[in-house]
Amino acid sequence: MKVYEESGCFDPHSIPDCQELMGLPGTTPTNCHNSLEDTLNVSSYNHHHHEDASAALDMEPHQHYLLDNTTNSHSHLIPYLTQDLPYDQSHWESFNVLPSSSSPEAAAAAASAAAAAAAAGAYTPTPDLLSLFHLPRCSFLPNPSISFETTPGSPSVVYDPLFHLNLPPQPPVFRELLQSLPHGYTVPADDKDAAGVGGLYHDGDNGIIQFTRDISMAGRAKDRDKAGKTTKHFATERERRVHLNDKYQALRTMVPSPTKNDRASIVGDAIDYIKELLGTVRELQILVDKKRCGQERSKRLKTEDAASAADAGDVEIKSLGDTEQCYNTSLRSSWLQRKSKDSEVDVRIVDDEVTIKLVQRKKINCLLFVSRLLDELQLDLLHVAGGNIGDYYSFLFNTKIYEGSSVYACAIANKLIDVVDKQYAAAPPTSSTSL
Amino acid sequence: MDMEFLKSELNELAITDHQRLTGGRMGRRKLEDDDDNNNKEFKSKNLQAERRRRQKLSDRLLTLRSLVPIITNMNKATIIDDAITYIQELQKTSQVLSEQLLEMEGSSEESVMPMKLEIDVAQHDMKKCGIKEEVKVSNIDGNKFLIKIIVEKKRGCFTQLVEAMNYLGFELSETNVTTFSGAMLFSSCVQGKYGDTLMVEHIEELLSEMMKSMKKIPNLPLN
Repeated sequence: MKVYEESGCFDPHSIPDCQELMGLPGTTPTNCHNSLEDTLNVSSYNHHHHEDASAALDMEPHQHYLLDNTTNSHSHLIPYLTQDLPYDQSHWESFNVLPSSSSPEAAAAAASAAAAAAAAGAYTPTPDLLSLFHLPRCSFLPNPSISFETTPGSPSVVYDPLFHLNLPPQPPVFRELLQSLPHGYTVPADDKDAAGVGGLYHDGDNGIIQFTRDISMAGRAKDRDKAGKTTKHFATERERRVHLNDKYQALRTMVPSPTKNDRASIVGDAIDYIKELLGTVRELQILVDKKRCGQERSKRLKTEDAASAADAGDVEIKSLGDTEQCYNTSLRSSWLQRKSKDSEVDVRIVDDEVTIKLVQRKKINCLLFVSRLLDELQLDLLHVAGGNIGDYYSFLFNTKIYEGSSVYACAIANKLIDVVDKQYAAAPPTSSTSL
Repeated sequence: MDMEFLKSELNELAITDHQRLTGGRMGRRKLEDDDDNNNKEFKSKNLQAERRRRQKLSDRLLTLRSLVPIITNMNKATIIDDAITYIQELQKTSQVLSEQLLEMEGSSEESVMPMKLEIDVAQHDMKKCGIKEEVKVSNIDGNKFLIKIIVEKKRGCFTQLVEAMNYLGFELSETNVTTFSGAMLFSSCVQGKYGDTLMVEHIEELLSEMMKSMKKIPNLPLN
């Protein structure tokens, strides 16, 4: 809409009129804001610009629409547009001048917008981006409801560089250009979630195209393209996104107690789980080594027993040397947590002492099942403390591993949480008697 | 570097957003000022929130990358892939080791002797310290009781005690168990679940009976 104000032939003094006109067809500021909110930036500049450009370029069908949607006074502006929209740089300067005459703020806005645009490089006519800019325009062609009303906040000076970039391809053969879009670029109007590189999509309701990626990603897109297309050859950006989401979900399923379903939490859970697995592997390795040592020692003892009658002195020296080799100085220590919907288990092992904390939503007294499990796992109860706290049962178990048993933290935690959950699920809902 | 570029660009865009909003609508600026400010704040807060969210994700991905030893390419998709592969590998390793451990345990010749020794020692200790086996029940209020039991510590005796409590229809609201010198002290505040109120003496009798039968039960096997 702003293009009307800012075109070289346009009389700046008629700006108030234009604004009134703009005000007419049911413009609401909120409409504009909603569209602008989602996009971080210049994309809306682009689209408004294209909107107008397309209107200008493809007069025949649009003129009807324009006449339908707008008042007569609107329509008479369009000829200005078509006649005077420049196809060269020179007019841009004049455009630049114009906002400064209207208001200093707008000029600053325009200047910084232009600067931002230049800096961001979104307007650099790289082939990828150029072809992208085709898309928003073509989306409007089939769409009858061009909403001029939604444009009011954008300084149209920004439109102009684009204009220059994109118009050189002859307007009448626009549609032919559309047909000949590279693969992967679909005409957005047909495909609601058309995804070219950069995630353009067409909001079908009021014909607004929005860039899903911000300007800063314009630079990155090329890299991603290269990496993506050379290694995976995704047909569309959408497929790449879907593929990436699937990978995140796959990662989530591997983790024992996943929390939230957003990417950051998934990665966080994965980090914790990898650390836990590394600890478990280390613990198991220590146990295996200890066991092996113990076995070798017992073998030696047997051979010594057999040979003790023969030669006590020699055997003693030998056994000492062997036990020194076998002696495993590493202290086993591990810490695991398992959480489920209603229960939480915390297992800490230092050498042969196991400390277990259990918190479970109050439903059944799980003490019996837990103590049975501890017996099974060959854990000697040294101390138990706990009981009912509000809605929960909370217990602390200090236990000691019986000599010869090689349970490890992961096993304890997993079994415990299984038992507790199973019992919880199996027990019928009871009304708790309060103290 | 990428992130800085991103940040600077977003900063600039934030500025232009504001200017665009206020500069454009000259005539209607006054009417929409509040709305603009609100939306601008919302947008810039959102911008910062979004920036922080992305930063958080990026940091975590970096941490993940640092944990995984074998990385193929350095882009976001492959780091996830590599992490999945690494986790699977670690899981396999831990499974192999645990199987190995089980195997060793099965074929191990560690004797049962330590167990028997333990129990003898326990009895010996208890007598030495002059600790006597005891059952004491006190009524707190209505159907609530405080139960104190001292029993010789054996494998599985705690389980038996809890079973006994269950059998009597007691819900253990606060439990405390300590072991010392071969004896176990069980102290618990219980609530009778069933309607009928039991008399203290009755409970004490029942519990003593149970303890006697507990003693008769042989020790639980090793496995």
